[in-house]
Amino acid sequence: MNKQDHILTVEVFDQDGSTFTLREICERGECHAEFVIKLVDYGIIAPLEDSPEARQWQFDVAALNRLRKAQRLQRDLKMNLPGLAMSLELLDEVEEMRREVARLNHRIRQLMGE
Amino acid sequence: MDFKDYYAVLGVSESASSEEIKKAYRKLARKYHPDVSKEKDADTRFKDLGEAYEVLKDPEKRAEYDQLRKYGAKADGSFEPPPGWQSASGFGGGGYTEADARQFSDFFEEIFGGRRRGGFSGGSDSGGFRQNMKIRGEDVHARIALFLEEAFHGCDKQVSFTVHEADPHGRVIPRQKTLKVKIPAGMREGQHIRLKGQGAPGIGGGEPGDLFIEVEFAPHPHFTIEGRDVMVTVPVAPWEAALGATVTVPTVGSKVNVKVPKGSTSGRKLRLKGKGFPGKHPGDQIVVLQVAMPEKHSPEAEKLYAQLAEAEKNFNPRSRLHV
Repeated sequence: MNKQDHILTVEVFDQDGSTFTLREICERGECHAEFVIKLVDYGIIAPLEDSPEARQWQFDVAALNRLRKAQRLQRDLKMNLPGLAMSLELLDEVEEMRREVARLNHRIRQLMGE
Repeated sequence: MDFKDYYAVLGVSESASSEEIKKAYRKLARKYHPDVSKEKDADTRFKDLGEAYEVLKDPEKRAEYDQLRKYGAKADGSFEPPPGWQSASGFGGGGYTEADARQFSDFFEEIFGGRRRGGFSGGSDSGGFRQNMKIRGEDVHARIALFLEEAFHGCDKQVSFTVHEADPHGRVIPRQKTLKVKIPAGMREGQHIRLKGQGAPGIGGGEPGDLFIEVEFAPHPHFTIEGRDVMVTVPVAPWEAALGATVTVPTVGSKVNVKVPKGSTSGRKLRLKGKGFPGKHPGDQIVVLQVAMPEKHSPEAEKLYAQLAEAEKNFNPRSRLHV
């Protein structure tokens, strides 16, 4: 709590084009490059621009977040890659729908003048 | 210290077979996994599940636990291990298989001596903690909910998050951290900001991790966001819609005058170019008109409506219903 009163200026990550290379994402995700390549092969995460050369891949922070999530699910629920790919897709869909429902409910309440 | 009823955590009876325990754990682990569940206490429940399963799946530990459960638990729910208690199935060398053992409770530790000896095992794929090795601290991913106005104009915001760091004994303990951060103007939902070096501290002189914060929007009473566009529903009187009018419309943090075209209907959309989210390609504000009626009409108004009914005799508002 020692820094509580100190106001920190932040860096907007996805705006200034900051990305991670394969090496950096492995370092941050504490995993081997093979694992990241597999996740890309299964479409679980994707580099910003598709290139056949893995060394040229660049990932955004959302990909890093997803990599961590994939690792946790794999570790905790003993999932294999196809299962992981499917669950993450379904979770995305659920999340998207939850947002849509919340937005529509909100719009309805506005239209009803509540 | 409170006694932890591992059977209750897994929702099984004391006489449950190891097969039943495994089944119950798997089912509940799927349900309460923090990456899957939306329940508020999913995090805690998942940790409890891992801990309960760690003990009950192992016949030796289960036997020890059963013994303690019988003799150690007091009537008031508190717990004291018998004097001189030492686990035979301790956690000395073995790693944890199913769960992130760094998070196990004091109760668990008191009985099985988990964290003290287990140290860094379990959890990450990178293997255990080795001395003389520089390890970069973990990145922390957090979320922050902003009101639209805050995102629009920028703001100072307090963020709280948990980092895992090692104490002098090499034990990993969670620590709550709070920072005040300056959110720049024009942040959109799903964007990330980074605070360099504010994640978990490094080990053996390794660099600290970073803190990444994902921006979310809190629901707004008037505005909704669609990408870069801001939508707002604006009520107009029937005569304003029919005859056209200039009405005042709120924008985020300000207001503008908008010309309602003659002959507008409910649901008509008016686009205010560049009045949406700011940025290199600013979004638009979309005004949705909604015809509103006064709650009461004066006798004069009623007379005028009667004239209107006569003049608009051919209008069937229910033509779409085929009646």
